[in-house]
This record gives sequence, structure tokens and C-alpha cells, in this order.
Amino acid sequence: MADIAKVAVIGAGVMGAGIAAQVANSGTPVVLLDIVPKNLAEGGDRSAIARGAVEKMLKTEPAAFMSKAAARLVTVGNVEDDLALLSDCDWIVEAVIERLDVKQALYAKIDAVRKPGSIVSSNTSTIPLASLTQGLSDAFDADFCITHFFNPPRYMRLLEVVKGEKTRQSAIADVSRFGDVRLGKSIVPCKDRPGFIANRLGVMWMQAAVVEAFDRKMDVEDVDQIIGRPFGIPKTGVFGLLDLVGLDLMPHVNASLAATLPAEDMFHEQYRPSPLIEKMIADGYTGRKGKGGFYRVNREKGKRKEAIDLVTGEYRVAKKADVEAVKAGGKSLAKLFDHDSEAGRYAWAVMGRTLAYAALLVGDAADEVEAFDEAMRLGYNWKKGPFELIDQIGTAEFVRRLEASGLPVAPILKVADGKPFYQVVDGKREVLELDGHHNVMTRPEGVLMLEDVKLASKPILKNGSASLWDVGDGVVCFEFTSKMNSLDPDIISLLQKSISTVKKGYKALVIYNEGSQFSVGANLGLALFAANIAAWPEIENLIASGQQTYKALKYAPFPVVAAPSGMALGGGCEILLHADAIQAHAETYAGLVEVGVGLLPGWGGCKEMLDRWSKVPKMPKGPMPALAQVFEMISTAKVAKSAAEAKEMQILRPADGITMNRYRLLADAKVKALAMVEGYQPPAPPVFRLPGPSAAAALKLAVDGFWRLGKATDYDRVVSAAVAKVLTGADADMLIELSEDDLFDLERAAFMELVKTPGTLARIEHMLMTGKPLRN
Amino acid sequence: MPSYQAPLRDMRFCLYDVFGGDELATLPGWEDFTRDLIDPVLDEAAKLCEEVLHPLNRSGDEEGCAWKEGEVTTPKGFKEAYTLFKDGGWTSIACDPAYGGQGMPAAVNILVEEMICSSNLSFGMYPGLSHGAYVSLAAHGSDELKAAYMPKLVDGTWSGTMCLTEPHCGTDLGLLRTAAIPQEDGSYAITGTKIFISAGEHDLTENILHLVLAKIPGGPKGVKGISLFLVPKFLPDAAGNPGERNAVACGSIEHKMGIKASATCVMNFDGAKGWLIGEPHKGLRAMFAMMNTERLAVGVQGLGIGEASRQNAVIYAKERIQMRSLSGVKAPDKAADPIIVHPDVRRMLLTQKAYMEGCRALAVWVAKALDVSKKHPDPEVRKENDDFVSLMTPIVKALMTDLGSEVANIGVQVFGGHGYIREHGQEQYVRDARIAQIYEGTNGVQSLDLVGRKMPEGAGRLLRRFFHPVSEYVAAKVEDETMGEFVQPLAKAFVRLQQATGQIARTALGRPDEAGAASVDYLRLFGLTALAYLWCLEVEVAKAKIDAGEGDIFYEGKIATARFFMERLLPDTGARFSAIMAGGKSMMTFPDEAF
Repeated sequence: MADIAKVAVIGAGVMGAGIAAQVANSGTPVVLLDIVPKNLAEGGDRSAIARGAVEKMLKTEPAAFMSKAAARLVTVGNVEDDLALLSDCDWIVEAVIERLDVKQALYAKIDAVRKPGSIVSSNTSTIPLASLTQGLSDAFDADFCITHFFNPPRYMRLLEVVKGEKTRQSAIADVSRFGDVRLGKSIVPCKDRPGFIANRLGVMWMQAAVVEAFDRKMDVEDVDQIIGRPFGIPKTGVFGLLDLVGLDLMPHVNASLAATLPAEDMFHEQYRPSPLIEKMIADGYTGRKGKGGFYRVNREKGKRKEAIDLVTGEYRVAKKADVEAVKAGGKSLAKLFDHDSEAGRYAWAVMGRTLAYAALLVGDAADEVEAFDEAMRLGYNWKKGPFELIDQIGTAEFVRRLEASGLPVAPILKVADGKPFYQVVDGKREVLELDGHHNVMTRPEGVLMLEDVKLASKPILKNGSASLWDVGDGVVCFEFTSKMNSLDPDIISLLQKSISTVKKGYKALVIYNEGSQFSVGANLGLALFAANIAAWPEIENLIASGQQTYKALKYAPFPVVAAPSGMALGGGCEILLHADAIQAHAETYAGLVEVGVGLLPGWGGCKEMLDRWSKVPKMPKGPMPALAQVFEMISTAKVAKSAAEAKEMQILRPADGITMNRYRLLADAKVKALAMVEGYQPPAPPVFRLPGPSAAAALKLAVDGFWRLGKATDYDRVVSAAVAKVLTGADADMLIELSEDDLFDLERAAFMELVKTPGTLARIEHMLMTGKPLRN
Repeated sequence: MPSYQAPLRDMRFCLYDVFGGDELATLPGWEDFTRDLIDPVLDEAAKLCEEVLHPLNRSGDEEGCAWKEGEVTTPKGFKEAYTLFKDGGWTSIACDPAYGGQGMPAAVNILVEEMICSSNLSFGMYPGLSHGAYVSLAAHGSDELKAAYMPKLVDGTWSGTMCLTEPHCGTDLGLLRTAAIPQEDGSYAITGTKIFISAGEHDLTENILHLVLAKIPGGPKGVKGISLFLVPKFLPDAAGNPGERNAVACGSIEHKMGIKASATCVMNFDGAKGWLIGEPHKGLRAMFAMMNTERLAVGVQGLGIGEASRQNAVIYAKERIQMRSLSGVKAPDKAADPIIVHPDVRRMLLTQKAYMEGCRALAVWVAKALDVSKKHPDPEVRKENDDFVSLMTPIVKALMTDLGSEVANIGVQVFGGHGYIREHGQEQYVRDARIAQIYEGTNGVQSLDLVGRKMPEGAGRLLRRFFHPVSEYVAAKVEDETMGEFVQPLAKAFVRLQQATGQIARTALGRPDEAGAASVDYLRLFGLTALAYLWCLEVEVAKAKIDAGEGDIFYEGKIATARFFMERLLPDTGARFSAIMAGGKSMMTFPDEAF
């Protein structure tokens, strides 16, 4: 297996630039080329397009780069002067305009300079692989494949890989491994068929949803509610999604599928031009990037939310969808389909057709049903893939419905013969194969999923908000199970119990879960309610027991590795800070955000950040530089937008690891934990020397400056003062040595003072009600 | 013949000394509402109630209302009393000056209402319903409707009703059937039957304005499709006088347990002409405009009746001689001792006093917050007070009517057999008080409102308006040498209330039945804790007066009553707490067949 150590991307459009950024995020040097700008002035920048793309990415949110350091790994150039840069690249990705002649001409140029055995792939979404390589050398054919990324490449985890007839297997293996381990993608192998998997099915679904909605004269809000949540599809439904991706993209994609799919393909039935959509595109209503789409915000009418009427084509006030069929359906898709209303009939017309089509594609777009499910989950953010949805309906029941409504019954459904596509036998997940047998699903090496452990075993400990699992080799995994993985007294108490359990019979503890967010911090609803009923002792106990538990975690006689993915905020960040090591998913968003709700880190966050920054080499002398860093981070509620940024902020220490692929996180964390077992010694407790009131006064001065500039609010000053008091050690001075417990006491006292203040309660309430911080 | 004397001293004590009623005059636009203006209003109200309304209470109950061919006749003397009432300007005291009202603060109005309820609840129903109609119309009616109807509604020439209930639908308004068909002239044709309509038909006013909940065909299902309409008995003519008779008629009146002089009518609408109040399908919102004030007013009915019963019980207990005191003869010159010497009679009288005076303080506290919520210049303060009123409204309504009913029952017990016979009027209070626990949202529904809506609102933001001041008060006073005796029991009850609140909040999310099962006990626990807090405030004022050399038996009585409340009544919070913490399983798992 050859290592991919350097990559080139040609085409610096949205996709190409985004792919290059993700390659750089993996720590791999990358060359990004585009054409020389047309009508370039004499002496102008011949690489302006690629350079501009990188600069633009550094400014846009959500960011394509995980750190500024990553951006420095990109070398920009143009295809006329800099093709030589490709000569030492192991993988060259083509992401230029979707025109066969342009691509083929480029391939010839690439082939002339690339090193032998380097892999070349195209990011095409519409052109068959077979036509792309026409007329090129056999050697090129052997090294060529399609790697189809989704937009935006950093955040969308699907990578469709298409092997050509002549592609060498090792090229597919190398690119897949790099895509998986280094770029963090889930690789779905597809056949060389139009639209591959996700778009073939996704476009069919969108087209069916749109055509049926027009035919039935439905309200767009209702449509999005009906084919959204009940099916585990994002609440943007179809019209919200079209607004997001751009209405103008659709005719192009539709036409391409219509031109390349065989005449008998079901897609053609749904492929009908829509005069209204064409008019919207012509008038500039291309979605969120344009003047609006099916929804828009009418600024002339006081930012009124409006939706388009599919019949009249006029905008009207948007309504909150409240579809009776959806309510009556509850969790039952059958009830929704059978609901005697246009909504019920619509739900079946769209989803019945989509799922029937998905079944027809087995053996065509790919052979494995799990490929379809993975593609739709990761490419369209569906909670469940099509075959999981069919299982939810029941295969026999689904076939009965298809027959009743005259829809085609695919061979795979006959193969299933009433059996589910997925089943669990002896704690192992099995999937239906084309031959009618269920085979055990296996994970690639280096992937360990807690969901598999949970199918195969019972938790060692469990309560309403957390569980403890045996993940093998003497390692246990502490899992949060509360809503949004918010921290509550149950989690704290199970953590305490877990520490004694690990002591007795295990080697190491990993703190990890498979929720979309690691933890959003303390359960604010509970905290606010307790504060509202003046249950002060209860709140103080919660803070104290959290402190003691985190401390016990830190000094436990075994290694603790925290493995976050997604948000790790507030108390969820503080638990990371008390672990011996962190193995973070690259997409980890960690920060001490307490001031946003008028509080401060009370579970050792202030203390640990002071300790971390004081140990950073090359800091100027004295306590102030470290203290100022921590103060700024906490008092502005700064959140790292990646694991790499968390490292810059010292939330991750230099020895902490970053895993690019979400699926590999637990296994990596486990390896890290086991490596520490031999000769493990708990850390030595830190001591603090803090400068006291004079330093607090200096920090206050700085905040007052921001306040005068209007950058800090009245209440920011109150909260910042409390943060400053803790970080400077209250009435401490440099001669007094403060212990960890002293810092805990300071945190707790300041926390209790704030939580009794109306300004804090208003902030918490606002956050709970609106999800946004209150600037009081 | 029962007697009634308005408890003006305690009213003024509550208003001015406990709750700083003088501050009302500091609110913008209310500069005139000083003691100089308020005191005469209270005196006049007392006079009217004692001399005009109270004498009609027994006779009205005996005679009741009479229905004949759609016409309802009120008992003898009511029409004359109403004329006096109206001419005295009493229908308009709480109305906005913009419509010819006197704009009296709620904190004052609520005391007037208590006097009316004490002296003649049935009579009070007529202007009471008018006021409810007034509030809805004022909040949501169009300018045209207001111009045409407000002046006469406010000055009492015309009266109003609230038509909600239908034969198949009471608490669950979503089931409503009365239909409103839009007409070309912009009016609606209302058709349907409404029942339990207080003051639906009577002979006190020349016209009656019905506020009717009905559904416009094609609207949303359930409560979201309800609209509110104004349907006058007589359509006003060009001059604004009662003109053509509208197609609304009283089909019959109910025969009922109490408030017999209040006409409770079946109203038939047969294509009656009506006008929309507020927006289509937003009728419930228009109705809710009056909910807080109306529920406070119903709470005060409990207080009023209980107070009347209490006064007569005290008089009787001092006059009635029976048996000798257990600890030796107290009235050697008489054949027996007055029954007030007996421990259980004293227990009963003190229970009545502690509950009713506590409730009066509660009513004034909440009414004053209602005033501040409307008049204070600072929006933050208005919001805090509005939160507080929302939180306390179900408690005022349910606690005060439950306790009023209990106190009226005790009043019968003090009289013994003489309480049970009609002659002394004590049994009428029991019958009259009973309805207040039922209408305007049953007390069970009030309890659900408290745990289901008010508690979770803003993750407990409404609760903060009660819990924080009480928590701070307890923290400040629990070690106090002179107040400790009172504040310690309060602290104990308050901790129970905090724990029960936390418990309900935790269980309610996943198991709503648990919150429902706890709700009635919880409301009582909350209410008693509130009374304990109020009694502490009263004791502080009384002690300060005594310390200032102004002491008398009134203040001494206050302190002694508070002591009785803390020692003998507040312990009920312990039982309520245990019941709440036990959960609802014993009820909810009980098989229906086994009942």
C-alpha cells in the first residue's frame, strides 16, 4: 500500500478549493491550481483564481480550514505555469468544470507531468468514468477513478468512490484509505452509473416531492413538515433544501440525469419542467444565495418571513406548519400514509416512490443496501437510509403498499421475501445480501463503535443520564445519554461510581459517546429552575460534587482519556480538562462558554486553564501573560472551531491526539489509553501563585475599555469582574501558594454569587428560550 | 337575621400598612389615589353594602329569580338596589376613565368587591359579569364597538354576560358548537345554545350585552378556531337606545344550590346578530384578557362569604351559652358559659380568622402587583409584577374559594343546629360559597394551570417572583429574635414547597399524570406558604405599631392569630408535602372497575 504524502487539486471552485482545504486539514501538503484569469492585465497575478479561493475560504463561515496552520500547507498556482508542481504528488484530484472536453484535455496534460503510479481522480458528479478516460493511456486508466465529494467537503462526511473497469485495485485502496483515515470521510464504493448513489436517489426524491407538491397544490411549509421529521429527514424538507443548495442547480442536475439514464428508469416519470421554478430562477429567486427561494425574508415588511404559493406564484406570509396527518401519524409511518388527507396521500406518493426506486437501484448503482443507507445518511443528512426506512415500514407491508398503488417491486424486495434488510442476531448486526442471506456486518480495522458494543452487551453501570460500557482489553467507556448530553446530577453521580468500578477491575477509562454533540454543558433548564426556586444549597452541592468528581477523575489511579466530537462546551469542556489525555475528533468545538449565560466555569475550568497556560513554553515572564490569555478566553466565551484550534487554545495539550474520521475516534482513544496503562502515575497536583486584587483591577480596566467602545455590555462587566476575581486569586498575592482546592472554592463562591443575580437568570432564560445569548 | 360589618380596619391595615398602598399615588397618572380619595370610597362602599345589599341577601335567597315566557324577574328590592348601585357610580369604579370610568386601582377595587360579596354575592354577580364583558371589549373591541357600547356598559345602564359554556362543553372549550355565519353587512349570525349564563336575562338594565364564544365555519379545529362576538339583547337604534329585539332569548333558568338571586340562564341564539371582537379565531385570547382579573374576583368571593360567616360565628359564640368551661366556670352569673370558652369553638373561630385575614392580605398583595404591572414606568418592573400576578392568579382563585368554603362550613358548625336551619343565614353562606370553587375554571383546573403552565414558564421564571423574595426574607429574618418564632415555621414550609416544586418539575416532563396527581395538594402547599409569609409581614407591622406605642387589641390580635396560624394551620403543609412526594401511582394504577 502506497502512502499519499502530497496531493494536488485542480480547479479552485467551491468543491476543488474545499477539497484542498480538507487535505491541508489532514496535515498533508496540497497544490491548488486553476486557470490563468482571462483578460489578465500585464503583470497581474496569474494564479489569482486559486489564491483568491484560499483567501475567500479564510474569511467564510463555516470555515473550510481547521486552523491557519492548515492554510499554510496549500501551494497555489495555475495550470499553465505550475503543472510541474504535480510531479511529486501522489494523488491528483480534478475538480474543474463539468465538460468532457475540458477534463480530457486536462488529463492529457496531467499525464505528461505526473509521477508514475500517482493516482488521478475526478470529482465529477455527472460524467461517466468510462467516457472520461476515453483515448487516454492504459497506465492512466489504471490509476484513474472518481472521488465524489459533497459540499462543503470539510463537513460532509460522504465520499463516493467509483472504480473504472481498468482501475487498479490498489489505487482504489490507497485513495479510500487516505479518504477515510486522513480526510475523515466514509467511503461508499459506487458503480459507474449516473449520479452514483446519493444524488441519483436524492434527486429522484426531491423531484418527486416537488412534482407531487405542485400537482396537489400544497403549501410548501406543509410539504417540508410531511417529508421532513417523520422520515428522519432534516426539517428543511425539500423546499428548504432547494433554497439552501440553489434552485438553479436543479435543472442542470435533472437534465444530466435525464440524458444519461436509460429510458425505462423511473426517474423520467418525475422529470417534468416547472414553469414556476424556471420563472423564479430567471427572476433571481435562486434560493438563499439569491433574492430568496420558496421561502424568503421580506425586508420591506419588517423582516417578515414569507413563503411562495405554488399555485399563484405569489409570496405570502409564512405559516407554522401544523399538519394533522403528521400529528396523527406520530411515530407510525403507516398511520401517516393511511391518513385520509392530501397530506397522507402525498407522504406515500413521494416516499413510496423514492423507496421503491432505492430498491430498484440495488445491483445497479451499488450491490450493497448498506451503501445506499450510508450515502443518504451522510450525503443528505437523513437519520435513516432508505432501507432502514423500509424496515421501519416492514418489507412485506411495503411490498403490499407498492402493489396496491401500482409501483414497481424491485428484485431485492422479492429476495427479502418479508425479511428485514437489517437484523440483530446474537448481538451482531446483519444485512441482507443479494443472495437472500443475512451476513454479519463488519467494521474496517481501526474502527470501534459504541453502538456495536451496545448491541452485544449490557452496561456495567447505568442511570437515566449516563452508562458505563466494557469496550474490551480492560478499557471501559463512560457514555453520556442525557438530552444533548447535557450534564446533570445523574451524570456526576454515575461518574463517581464509575471511578470506583474502574479501580476494582479495569485498566483505563475513556469518556466518549456517539451523540452529535459530546456535551453542551450543564443542563441549564435544571439549573435555572433550581435558581428560580431559590434552591441555593442544591446548586452549591451540584457545583461542589462536580468539582470533587472531576478532581477524583484527574487523580484516579488509572489513565482517563476523553474523546470528544462535536460540541464540548462549559462543563463538557471542563471534563476534557480533567482527563489525562484527549483524543479529539477533528470536528470538536470546545470552549468555556459560561459567561454567555452569566456564569463562570465552576467545575475547575478556570483552574485547569490557568495551569495549562502557565506551562506553555516561551510565555513572557510573570503570572500575567498566562492569566490574560485565560481571562480573554473565558470572558469572551471563546469556542475552538476545530480540534486544531482547541490545541492553539491549550484545551488540547501538545501530546493530545486528533482523529479525522469520526468512526475511528473510540478505537484511537482506546489505543491512547492502553498505551498509558503501563507504569501509570496520576499527575502531580498543581500549585498556583496568583497576583491578587491589583491584577483584577488591571483586567477590569481592560474590560471597561471594551465597555466604553460598546464591545462589552453592562452585565459583561459584572461577569468579567467575577472571572477576574477567580483568576487573580481574589485577595491572594504572589507570596501565597494556592492549592487546587483553593481555586475550586473561589470558582464556587463566584459562581454562587452570579447565579443569584437577576442579570444571570435573564441570560440563562434567554438562552433556553431562543438558543442565543442575551446581551444585557 | 345575620349581620355584616365591613372589616374596614383590616382592609386599611393590609392596603396601607402591609403593602404600602400610599405608593399607588406615585404611579404615573394615579397622583389622585391618595388616602384622601380612597378612604371615602371604602367608607361609602361599606355603607352601601351594609345598608342596601346585605338586607336583601336572605330575602333574595328565599325568593330567588322567576322566569316567565323568556323574561326573568329578580327578587324584590334588587332593581331598586341596582339603581342605587349604578347611580352611586359603583359599576364604573374599576373602569378606564377613557370610557367614563373612575380608574380605581385594583388594590382598592378588590376591597370593594369583597364587601359586595360578603353582603350579597348574588347581587354582585350582575355588575361582576358586566365588568368581565367590559374588560374583554376594552382590550379587543373595535373603536366602533367601543363607541357604541362602552359608555352604557360602564355607567351600568346596560349590563353584560360571558357566554362560554354549552350543554356538552364546559372546561373543554374546543368542543364548542355555536356557529357564527358571516353576513354581508360585516356582522355575523350567531346560532347555538349556551348554558349556565349568569345574568343572561334579568330586569335590572334596559339592555344586556352578551359576549359569545362561537366558531366561524371553516376555521381551525379545537380551541384555535374560536371567535368572540358581541351580541346585544336589543340592537341599538340610531340614537344609541335599545331598538329592535335581537334573536337571543332566555329558554329557562337553573334551579341551583346557592346564589339563587343570580339568574343562571339557558340562552338560545337563533341567528342573532353579532359583531366580532378582536380577530377571527382569536377569541380565546380576547377572553384571556379578563381571565386574571376575573379569577382574582372569584377568589375574593370566597373571602367575602367566609368573612361574613366568620363575623356571625363570632357574635353567636359570644352570645350562645352552653355547657361550662372545662377549666372551671367563666360566667357564674349565667346558666352556662358562652361557647367561646370551649377549646374547639376557639379553634374554629381562630381558623376562620387566620384564613380569612390571610386571604385578604393575599388578595391585596396580588391586586397591588396587578396595578404595578400596568402602571409602573419601568418595563422590567411591569414584567416582574405581571409574572407574579400570572403565577398567583390560580392560587388566589382556588385557595381563597376553598378556604372560603371551609370557613363557611365552620360557621355552620359554630352555630350547631341553628346553623343548619335557614333562619340564621349561616347555611346560605355554605351554599353560596360552593359555586366559587367551580366556576371560572374549577379549582382542579386552577391547580393544573399552576403546575402545567405557570410552573414551567421560562423554566420557572414566574416562580422566581415568589420564591426569591420569600427566600431572601427567610434568610434575613430566620435568626431574628422577635420574628424567629414566626419565620421558622415559614422557613420549614418554604423548604417543603421548594422540594415539592423540584419534584414536580422533575417528574412532570416524562410523566404528566404525576404533575396532575400532585397539583391540588401542591396548590394548597403553595397557598399556605404564601399565607405564612403574609402573616409574618403582618406581625412585623403589628409589632412595629406596638413598639411605637400605638398598640391595641387589633395589633395584639394580629400577632396572636399569626401564632395560631403557624402552630395549628401551617402544619398542614407537612401532610400535603408527604402526599405530593408519595406520587400518583396509587391513583393512576387503580382499576376503573374497582371504583
